[in-house]
Amino acid sequence: MVALSAVITAAGTALVTATTSGTVTLDTFAAGAVHLGSFGGLLIAFRRWAPAASRLLLPIVSLITAVGSIEVFRIDPDLGRLQRWWLVLAAVIGIAAMRLLHRRGVKVLRRYRYLFLVASLGLLALPLLPSSLPLGGATVNGSRLWVRLSLDERTLSFQPGEAAKVLIVVFLASYLADRRRVLAEMPHSVGPLRLPEPRQLLPILLAFSIAFMVLVYQRDLGASLLLFLVFVMLLYVATARATYLVAGGLLAVGGAFAAATWFSHVAVRVEAWLHPFQDYATGGYQVAQGVFALAEAGLVGTGLGNGSPWLIPAASTDYVFIAIVEETGLAGGLALLAAYALLVTIGFGIALRANDSFRSLLAAGLTIVLAVQTLLIIGGVLRMLPLTGITLPFASYGGSSLLVNVLIIALLARVSHEERT
Amino acid sequence: MKTSLRRIAAALAASLAFSGIWMTWLVTDAASRYRNDPRNVRSQQAGYLPGAGRIITADRVIVAIDDSNGERQYPEGVAYAHIVGYDAASGRSGIEQSRYAALRVRDDGSITDWLLGLGDGGTRQPHDVVLTVHDPLQQVARDALGGKTGAVVVIDVATGAVFAYVSSPAYDPNQVVAGSLDPEESADATLDRAADRVLPPGSTFKVIVAAAALDVGANPDTPFTDSEEYLAPGAGSPIRNASDGFCSDGNTLTLTDALVVSCNTVFAALAVDLGGASVVGAARRAGFGTVIPWETGAARSSLTGADVLEADDGALAQTGIGERDVRVTPLLMALIASSIGNGGVAMQPFVVGAILTPSGDVIAQTEPAPFTRMFSSAVAADLRTMMTEVVTRGTGTAAQVDGLIVSGKTGTAEGSGGPHAWFIGIAGHDNPEIAIAVVVESGGSGGRVAAPIAAEVLKMWRDLSG
Repeated sequence: MVALSAVITAAGTALVTATTSGTVTLDTFAAGAVHLGSFGGLLIAFRRWAPAASRLLLPIVSLITAVGSIEVFRIDPDLGRLQRWWLVLAAVIGIAAMRLLHRRGVKVLRRYRYLFLVASLGLLALPLLPSSLPLGGATVNGSRLWVRLSLDERTLSFQPGEAAKVLIVVFLASYLADRRRVLAEMPHSVGPLRLPEPRQLLPILLAFSIAFMVLVYQRDLGASLLLFLVFVMLLYVATARATYLVAGGLLAVGGAFAAATWFSHVAVRVEAWLHPFQDYATGGYQVAQGVFALAEAGLVGTGLGNGSPWLIPAASTDYVFIAIVEETGLAGGLALLAAYALLVTIGFGIALRANDSFRSLLAAGLTIVLAVQTLLIIGGVLRMLPLTGITLPFASYGGSSLLVNVLIIALLARVSHEERT
Repeated sequence: MKTSLRRIAAALAASLAFSGIWMTWLVTDAASRYRNDPRNVRSQQAGYLPGAGRIITADRVIVAIDDSNGERQYPEGVAYAHIVGYDAASGRSGIEQSRYAALRVRDDGSITDWLLGLGDGGTRQPHDVVLTVHDPLQQVARDALGGKTGAVVVIDVATGAVFAYVSSPAYDPNQVVAGSLDPEESADATLDRAADRVLPPGSTFKVIVAAAALDVGANPDTPFTDSEEYLAPGAGSPIRNASDGFCSDGNTLTLTDALVVSCNTVFAALAVDLGGASVVGAARRAGFGTVIPWETGAARSSLTGADVLEADDGALAQTGIGERDVRVTPLLMALIASSIGNGGVAMQPFVVGAILTPSGDVIAQTEPAPFTRMFSSAVAADLRTMMTEVVTRGTGTAAQVDGLIVSGKTGTAEGSGGPHAWFIGIAGHDNPEIAIAVVVESGGSGGRVAAPIAAEVLKMWRDLSG
């Protein structure tokens, strides 16, 4: 399967270069070789250090990455070439993670939960550092999510928030595994709704305020929603108390209304979601261009290299799903959705079979991150939800995102391995 | 924990499945509604079957059609030149350009095109574009201009539908198709003076200044000093009235009376009293500095910035009477008038009402949508009352039409080849129904030259609607 996806990457890249420039270029071999090398390496590491892990996990990820990398290369060859380096780096980090976990298992993570909490909050706050420092924040497209490391003349930019989401899941899994019985106690009741001690609601309020602060200070709607939804869902999984879902849902809806009323950058998104064609010249342009791209898609799309996905702003990141649908049609889009559904199903399967509550919550949390992130961005570009600028896991261009998602898969594989041995 | 985990897993998996269903619907819906959208660049690069649909007016007069040889013909010749444009080997303009895709059957050889063709009943006939323009209004507006240089725009106040759209001098698109007229060399005739030409609005701009005053608490009966001339602090030369005397009895006159006789000294002083920020703010709310969403594109109307006017009372005084650097398109002046007739809200102007199949089935229909609120409803009501007085007993009496209530404002703006004559107004049987803007470049006084042209168009509208 991994070899097949490498062949797909090479063939797809060949098709793109053939249709756009008329000849098949060296990129074909580079793309195929990098994909085969990276996922081959990961596969060997998985087999060696997590031999009992689910055998479907990596091939699915490899396929999604193949489709994404072809489309990113198609939209912007330079970004596509850059993404290859990110893939190599992600594979190296994934292999290193498997090696480290091999020694002591995921359980070791449980002990350092407060370190992870502090680290993730620190990472979330990192972009707020002044831009003048050698390691400083940077504002890109109106959101302050980036950290730019300046060494002499060179700069390296990354989004620390991406790593923060994994660390937060590890913390939550550990915290909830210990506290879930206490949190599940519901001594009070109002009608059919059972309520916990008021102080038990503090964590949910804390999570909400952190998510809201991310929204206010970094103007990142996507990360804010993702963090909060993951927290609420995991809390529900741990306690099985619908009260938390209701409370979280109310807070999310209230927060969304407040944000849409108070913050112009959120209001613009909502307006663009509801009326993209009326605000065509201003806020609705991107959403409208996405709809134009979908209008071309049809059943099988324009064919790789024959569409015009670059017309959509942020085609290689936020809108990569639409770009794929434009060129491969409903068939391609549905196949990709099925791949994500399969990945999510495997992830939840791992969580269900896990042999203790920490591992189960860890696998569930990581899977929820992947699922919610996929739903937020696909829902956004398909106009089911307001558009929130986050990446489509494994498919969008983005180094930080790819690294962290490979790390998620490594953790899932490790949990999967441990439950079968 | 297993139960709750299963529930979350099921909910997320169901959401992914729902995304798939939603996407299937969206792709189908987008293909039928947005493939030929004029803003969709992809549609201009696509392949099309030969042959284009017709362009017809709201009253079913054919203004563009393919003849039996497939040559584009324009039966009404010069009358629709600036809105319909031409589709010639040398290039395209007007609706022929903006609705190029809608007028044709698209076929890239793709499966989507084939499927859409099946949905079309397999006929693959090009669609017709139906304008909102009414031919008698278009013709009478053109005749009333009588070859003078200028423009007439008529808009339905409640919907924004454009009933007439005339620019003069015009050209014959048939000659462009035949190759006997090069649009590049006839820039004077091809220029769309309704939307692409900006001129100083002169006294029609006093409506905006009056709105700024009403906004901050003045009312139509607020008295102002009547003087022969007004010298702004720091200005070089004074501003005088058109009659070179007092506007009234030399004591005071109300805001309404100042508008009725178009009193320069009152409005120049009023602009300086209000301040640059207030006047510029009122103008911006009324669409100055904004891109007007218009079928064939429109120039941006403009005036001097607030910071400059705050520091230069002389310029501010001249701005108050629509001179200096105030520049506006007739299209925007018509929209301003229409908003006064529509409780302060200007609707988005549109000239393509629908896309039909040759047998008359509706493919797409333009839904009226608000463009912007230019005035509060109270200010709009006051302006309307004051403008009614302008036509009953002021500078705009030539725009009176039996059987209609006409409200308007004249303007006579300085121009290098003689003053530009302006009239903007709204008219209806009981309530305002249509808005009109007329400009005649270097034509003379607005009340004597532009107002009678408006009256002729309004008479035709009355006859059509009565």
